Formats: sequence, structure tokens, C-alpha cells
Amino acid sequence: MKLTTNDLRTALLNAADKMEEHKDELTDLDREIGDGDHGINMSRGFQAVKKELEAKQDFADLGELSKLVGMTLIKTVGGASGPLYGTIFVKFANTWKGVGEAEGDALVSGFEEALEGIKTRGKADAGEKTMIDVWTPFINALKSEGDLSHAIDEGLAHSKTIMATKGRASYFGEATKGVQDPGALSSSLLLNELKEALHD
Amino acid sequence: MINLILVSHSGKLAEGLKDLLREMAAETPILLAAGLADGKIGTDVGRIEQAFGNISDDALILTDIGSATMNAELALELYAGDRDIRFVDVPLVEGGFLAAVLSGQGKSLDEIITALEAEFKK
Repeated sequence: MKLTTNDLRTALLNAADKMEEHKDELTDLDREIGDGDHGINMSRGFQAVKKELEAKQDFADLGELSKLVGMTLIKTVGGASGPLYGTIFVKFANTWKGVGEAEGDALVSGFEEALEGIKTRGKADAGEKTMIDVWTPFINALKSEGDLSHAIDEGLAHSKTIMATKGRASYFGEATKGVQDPGALSSSLLLNELKEALHD
Repeated sequence: MINLILVSHSGKLAEGLKDLLREMAAETPILLAAGLADGKIGTDVGRIEQAFGNISDDALILTDIGSATMNAELALELYAGDRDIRFVDVPLVEGGFLAAVLSGQGKSLDEIITALEAEFKK
């Protein structure tokens, strides 16, 4: 599997469209078990990313592109998602500094660093009904060259069944079982686009 | 004198807490990074960075919940200035009282953090 700078840029433009399509769904879910702004926040953040990427087509490498995306998300998303999604791309930027195309271990380590970054920032781990429950199986599948789509779907489906023990949703306790976590859903939208960008 | 930076989702909450702390420690510099534009609820890394730019000495950050803490930690990672700014994860109101009083007594950042941890991290 290989990720090129241009393919990552395209994937992010597509992810921005996906966030827009699912804006109301994300917000409705967040209204059930959170503070009801996830769709609005993700839409604002990814539209800002789209604007930046439309203004600048050529990036030196994955690091430069990821850094711009990370800082844009940090500044525009708001809520807990701003620092969390921002951290993903800042970690990509650190790992892929000066790297035009990532493959093999370099590709995997970018994703692993990003996941570690989210865990540290959110003081969370797998099994707490968060975005981590989608990122973890995705990265495991990436490492084992498994089916990425299947991993995303399984992670998303499993996260729906369990109880939230982190973030605002945790205040709703048992009532969160059976409700889709909005952060897990937005992560699945992003990862599905990143998956499309990965080629042999 | 150690500055206090209060990071809250609510501008009103932070303003109210500042009023409370003023009664106990009138001299302690207190900066707010709270709420969003138009009085909306939320936290914003940009407002925290703005507060960093306005401190008059080393500073201690206190936060309310979730994203306030994440944004504070992120702002600290991005900070390139030369003040010693630190975050301590203790209750905002009670921790704010102790920190404001100790700062007013001229205690150092280390002394304040040690006292807060002794009081709230038993």
C-alpha cells in the first residue's frame, strides 16, 4: 500500500464533501448523546480545509500537506474534535516530514503515531465508544494487509453496541448503548476516503 | 505574581468565577479564555493563545471539562514564548480559589502546583 501527496489531497477534498453530506446526521447523533454540534463543527473544519486545498494544489510532500490540514482543523473545528482531528494531521506531518510517498512501515507508522496522538490527547483507549474504536481496527487491518472497508464497518458497528465511558457521552451512561457515536461515524467517513487514496 | 488563565466553555462561568476569586485575591492577575464569539458555548485554542500573549508573569492554566483541557494542552504544545506556563488538572472553582490565594501570597508556580496536587489529587 502506498499513499502519495496528491492522493491524500484528493482524499481530503472528498472527505470534506462527505462531512457536508452527513452534517445533519452527525449533529443529530451528537444531540442524543452529546452537545449537539459535531456535524456543524466537522463541516466548518473540513470546508476550511477544502478552501485551503483548492487555493494550493502543489505540496512538497505529505508532511507539508498534513501540517496545513492539521493547523486548519485546530483553528476551525472547535469542540473536542478540533484538537483531536488536528492532532491526527499534526502527527502525520511529524512522521511524514519530507516524505513524498509513504508505503510499508512508513505508511503504517504515520497512522500509528496519529492513533497514539488521539489516545494521549483524549486520555482514552479502545472500547470506550469513541473514534479510537474505528481507527484501531483500521490500523490493524493496514498492518496485516486485511480488508480496510470491512475493518471500518466492523469498528463502527461494534462501537455502536458498547457504552460510552469517555467524553460528554459518558454522562449518558447506559443510554449510549445502541446509539452511534458521532466521532466514530465522522472518523469512518474520513478513513473511507483515506482508504480510497491507498494504492498498491 | 503568577497569572491564572481560566479556560471554560462558558464566558459567564469564567466571568463569575473571576468575580469570586477577586474577593479572595484582589491582586492576582486573572485571564479568561472562555466561550466562543457571540456568547456561544465552547472552547477555542485561539483564545487560549491570546491569553498566553497577555500574561505578565509565568502562568497556571485551569480548565473545566473535555475540550477545554484538550485545547489547553494543545495550546501549550504550540506555545513558543519564554514564559513558564503550566496546566494542572484540578477542579476549576476549588482549584482556582487555592491558586488565586497562593499567587496573591507571592508563591512560585512550583509551590502552587504542589499545593493543588496535594489538595485535589489524594
